[in-house]
Amino acid sequence: MKRVSLILAVLALIAAPAAAQDVVKIGQIEAQTGANAIYGWMSSQGTALAVDEINKAGGFKVGNKTYKLQLIALDTRGEPKEATVQLKRLVEVDQAKYIFGPFLSNVFLAVRPYAAEFNGKLLMWGGATRIHDYVGTPGHEFLMRTWNWDAGKNGFGELMVDNLVKTTGAKKIAMLFQNDQGGKVLEDIYVPMLKQKGIESRLDYFEPGTKDFSAVLAKIAAWKPDFLFPGYADSYIYDIVRQATETGQLTKFFLVRGSLGPGLKNKDGIEEYMVYVPKHFEEAEKKDPKVAKFVKAYKDFYKRDFPYDQAPLCSSSCYDHVYMLVEAMKKAGTVDDPAAVKKALMSMTYDGLWKIRFDDKGEAIFNFDVVRLKKGGALEVQHINPN
Amino acid sequence: MTGQALLWGVLYALPIFVRGDFLLTIFIFTFIYAILAVTFDLIFGFTGQLSMFHPAVFGVSAYMTYLLATNCKLPFWIATLPSAAAAVVLALIVGSICFKFRLKTFYFAVVTLAFSEMIRLFVMNWNSVTNGTLGLVVAAKPTIYWPGSGIVPIKGPIAWYYLTLVCLSLTVLVCARCLRSWMGRCFGAIRLNEDLARTLGINVFRYKLLSFAVGNALASFAGGLYGYYTGYIDPGYLGINQSMEVLAMVLLGGQGTLIGPIVGSLVLTGLPHAIDLRAEIRAILYGAILIFTILVMPRGIVGTLNAWRAKRGA
Amino acid sequence: MTQLVLGQVLNGSIIGAMYGIIALGITLTFGITGIVNFALGEFMMIGAYATYALAERGGLPYPVAVIPACLIAAAAGYLSNKAFFRFTRNNLVNGLLVSIGLISIFESASMLLWTATPVEMHFVLPGALRVGDIGLPKMKLVVFAVIVIVIVVTYLGLARTWLGRAAFAYAQNPEAAMLMGVHTPRLETAVMLYSTGLAGLGGALYASLYSLEPAMGGVYVLKGMEAAILGGIGSLMGSLWGGVILGVIEGVGSIFLPTAFRDAYGLAVLVAILLFRPSGLFGDE
Repeated sequence: MKRVSLILAVLALIAAPAAAQDVVKIGQIEAQTGANAIYGWMSSQGTALAVDEINKAGGFKVGNKTYKLQLIALDTRGEPKEATVQLKRLVEVDQAKYIFGPFLSNVFLAVRPYAAEFNGKLLMWGGATRIHDYVGTPGHEFLMRTWNWDAGKNGFGELMVDNLVKTTGAKKIAMLFQNDQGGKVLEDIYVPMLKQKGIESRLDYFEPGTKDFSAVLAKIAAWKPDFLFPGYADSYIYDIVRQATETGQLTKFFLVRGSLGPGLKNKDGIEEYMVYVPKHFEEAEKKDPKVAKFVKAYKDFYKRDFPYDQAPLCSSSCYDHVYMLVEAMKKAGTVDDPAAVKKALMSMTYDGLWKIRFDDKGEAIFNFDVVRLKKGGALEVQHINPN
Repeated sequence: MTGQALLWGVLYALPIFVRGDFLLTIFIFTFIYAILAVTFDLIFGFTGQLSMFHPAVFGVSAYMTYLLATNCKLPFWIATLPSAAAAVVLALIVGSICFKFRLKTFYFAVVTLAFSEMIRLFVMNWNSVTNGTLGLVVAAKPTIYWPGSGIVPIKGPIAWYYLTLVCLSLTVLVCARCLRSWMGRCFGAIRLNEDLARTLGINVFRYKLLSFAVGNALASFAGGLYGYYTGYIDPGYLGINQSMEVLAMVLLGGQGTLIGPIVGSLVLTGLPHAIDLRAEIRAILYGAILIFTILVMPRGIVGTLNAWRAKRGA
Repeated sequence: MTQLVLGQVLNGSIIGAMYGIIALGITLTFGITGIVNFALGEFMMIGAYATYALAERGGLPYPVAVIPACLIAAAAGYLSNKAFFRFTRNNLVNGLLVSIGLISIFESASMLLWTATPVEMHFVLPGALRVGDIGLPKMKLVVFAVIVIVIVVTYLGLARTWLGRAAFAYAQNPEAAMLMGVHTPRLETAVMLYSTGLAGLGGALYASLYSLEPAMGGVYVLKGMEAAILGGIGSLMGSLWGGVILGVIEGVGSIFLPTAFRDAYGLAVLVAILLFRPSGLFGDE
C-alpha cells in the first residue's frame, strides 16, 4: 500500500495526469487518532485487512480485466477541517471514486457539500448518524449509510426496547447521554420512542470529558429508575457502570451503543446489562467459520491481540464492505461508474461476517446480537436478523 | 520590505499556476486562520497581552453572521457588521474587567480563557438558537457585486481564494495603519514596560483596551468566512485548541511581525497534509517542531529572517 | 436533598484532592523555579499507565506498583526538564508552548503504545461505605487520605526544613541563593522531579478509580491550574484547599444547576478570585 507524497502529487497536477492502471482506488476518511478514534480505528483496521487479502489473492476480475485495490486511508483526527481537505485530495489528486467513511457526524456535515458536487461521480458510504438525514434525498444519490438505524420497523432500537419491556416489564428508564452530537441524536430518537411506548423517562446530559459521575448518578438514583440507559462511548460507559454499581444504587443497564466490556468488568455489581452489539465476537468466533477466519487473519496481519471489544464496530464501512463493493463492481460490470455500482449494491444481499443489504434509501440493514448479561457473568446472546 | 512585496505578489498570482482544488483549499484555510493569527499578534506580539479570547469571537461571529443572514434576510457582508460590533462589545466588557484590575500577563491569559470557556458552554447549551452540539449547516454563500454580472455568489475555490486573500490583505493593512500611528507606539511602549509607559503619561488601560477591541473586531470576520466556507458551524469553533493553534502559528511565524503569523499559518495548515505519516507520528512531529521553534528559533521564522538580513546589512 | 448535597460535598472534596495534587505540582514548579509546566497532566498520565502496566500486566500488587510508577513519571519529568523546561525559566509563554509541544508528543506516544481504547485496572478495593442514601467508594477514601498526607508532608517538609527555606530563597532571588550556598541547578532538578513524581502519584491513584485513556491529562491540568490559582500560586496548603473548593463547587453546583454547565461554576469562581484577590485565597503578596 504505497502512499503518494504531496510533492509528487503536485507535480502530477501540473504534468499530464497518468493513465489509470488496473487499480481501483478506495479512499477512506475516518478518525484513526484523536479523542473519537474509537469510531474510525476499527473501520480502518478492517478495510486494510480486506484490501490486503483481495490483492494477495490476485485481485478481482471485472469483465475481462483483473484489478487490484489501492486503499488510501487518511486520518481525519475527528476534525471537520482536516477531513474537508483530505476528501478534496482523495477526489482530485488521487481520483478515488469510492469513499469509505466517515463515522463521525460533525465530519460528515462538513464534507457533505463538497461531496455533493460530485453527485453521480462518487460513492460515499459511512456510518455517521447524521447521514440518515440526507441518505435517499435528492442530490444525494452518491450517499449511503452503512450502519443500522435505531428507529423504524427494522430499527434495532425499536426491537430492543420492545424486547426490554416484554422480558423485564420496565416502566421507568433514565437516560444519561453526552452533551454532543451523538447524545443529541440519541435524544431525538429515544425520547419520543419511549414516550410512544408508554415508558416514563428522564434525560440527563454530561459534559464530554467527565470522569466522575457521582453527582448526576446520585440525582438519577433518587428518581429510582428501572434501568439506566447510558451514552454511546465506551470510554464513558466503563466509568458510568462502575460508579453506578459501586454504591449499589443503580444496577440495571440498557445500551444501544458501546460494548459488552463494561458489563463484564462489573459483572458482580450489575443485576442486568442488556446491550446491542453488532456481533458478539467471542461466541461468533466459535460458531461461525467466517468469523473465526477473520479473527485469525486479523491476528496474523496485525500481530496483535484481536480487539473483541472494538470489533463490533467493523460493522460499518469495514471488512465486509470492501468485499461487498468488489461484488457489486462485478455485478455492475464496471469499476468506473459509481452510480452503476451503487445500483448493484442496492439490489444485492452480501453474506459475510454480517448479512448486509440496503433499504430503498440506501441505509444498511444487517443482523445483530443483543447480549443479556446477568449478575455473576452468565450471558445469553439473542441473534436478531431483520433480513 | 521587498520580501513582503514578493510574498503578496506570489499569493495574488498563485491561482494562475495552481489550479487544484486541494491546494487552493489549503491556502483558503491558511488565509482565514491568518486573519485570526495576525489580529492575535496585534494584541500579543505588539501589545504584549496573551489573550485566549480569540475562539470566543471566532465562534460567536460565525454563529451571528449566519443567523442574522438567514433570519433577517441580510446579505453576508451586512451580517458581518453586527457580529463585529458584538465582538467589540464582548471585548470591551472582558477587556475592561481584566485591564481595570491590572491583571498580569499570566492571569490575563487565564481569565480570558475562563471567559472564553464560559461563552463556549453558553453557546453549546443554547439549543434553541445555536442548535447546540448538533451545529448549523450553512448552505448559503456570500455574495459580492461584480461589475458586469451584478450580484454573484462566491463559489468555487478560486473565488474563495481571492475573497479570503483580499480579506486578509485588508486586515493586515488596517493593523499596519494602527501600528504606524501613535496607537502603535503606545502598544509598543506597553509591551516593553507597562509601568514605565504609565509614568510617561500613556493611558495604559485605554490602549490595552483599544488593542484588544480592534484585534477581536477584525478577528470576527474570520468567523463568518470560515463558517460559510466550511458550511458547518458548531461549538467546536470556540474550543481551546483554536487558541493553541493560533498561538502556535504566531510563535512559529514570528511574533511582533505582521507577516510572521501568515507564514506560521501556512506552515501549520499545510504541513499536516505534506507529511504523509502515521497520524500519531505526525502529532509527535508537530510537538517537536513547536518545541524546536521555541527553544532554538524564538523569534519565529520571519523574525529570524529579519534578524539575518539586518545583520547582513540588507 | 440534603443527602444529595452532603454526598456531593464529600465526593467533591475527594475529587478536589486529586486536582490539588496536580495543583501542588504546578505551584511548586512555578513558585520555586518560575517554570510553567502545563504538561503536568501528561506526567499524571504516565504514572497512571505505568501503574496499569505494572499492576495488570506485570502482576504486581497495586500498592507495590504505585512507587515505581511515580519514579517513572519523575524520570520522564527529569528528562523533560533537562532537555526543554529549564530553558523556559521565568518565560511564561515559552513554558506554555513547550508544554503544548510535550503534550502532543506524550499523548501520541501513549496512543501508539496503548491505542485510544480505554483500559481499566482491576478493582483494588471494591465496595462502598453506605450511610443512608450516600455511598462513598472505599477506594476514594483511601485516595483522599493518601493525597492529604502527601500534601501535608510536603508542606511540613518545605516549611520546616533547611531544604525548604533554600527553595524559597531561590524563588525570591536565585543569585543570592546561589551565593548563600544553595546548589541551584540541583534544586531546580529536585523540584521538577518531585512535582512530576507527585503528578505520577496522582495518576497512579486515578488508575484505581477510573478508566485510562491517552488524553486523560488534559482536563486535570486545567483543573489543577484553576485550583492552584484559586489557592494561590506559591501556597502549598492552598493548592489542597483550592482543589477541594473547586471540587465541591462543581459537585454541589451540579445538583442544583444543569450538569452541562459544571465546568463553568469553577471558572466563574476563578475569575472572581483573580479579580478581587489575585494572590488567591491563601497566597501572600
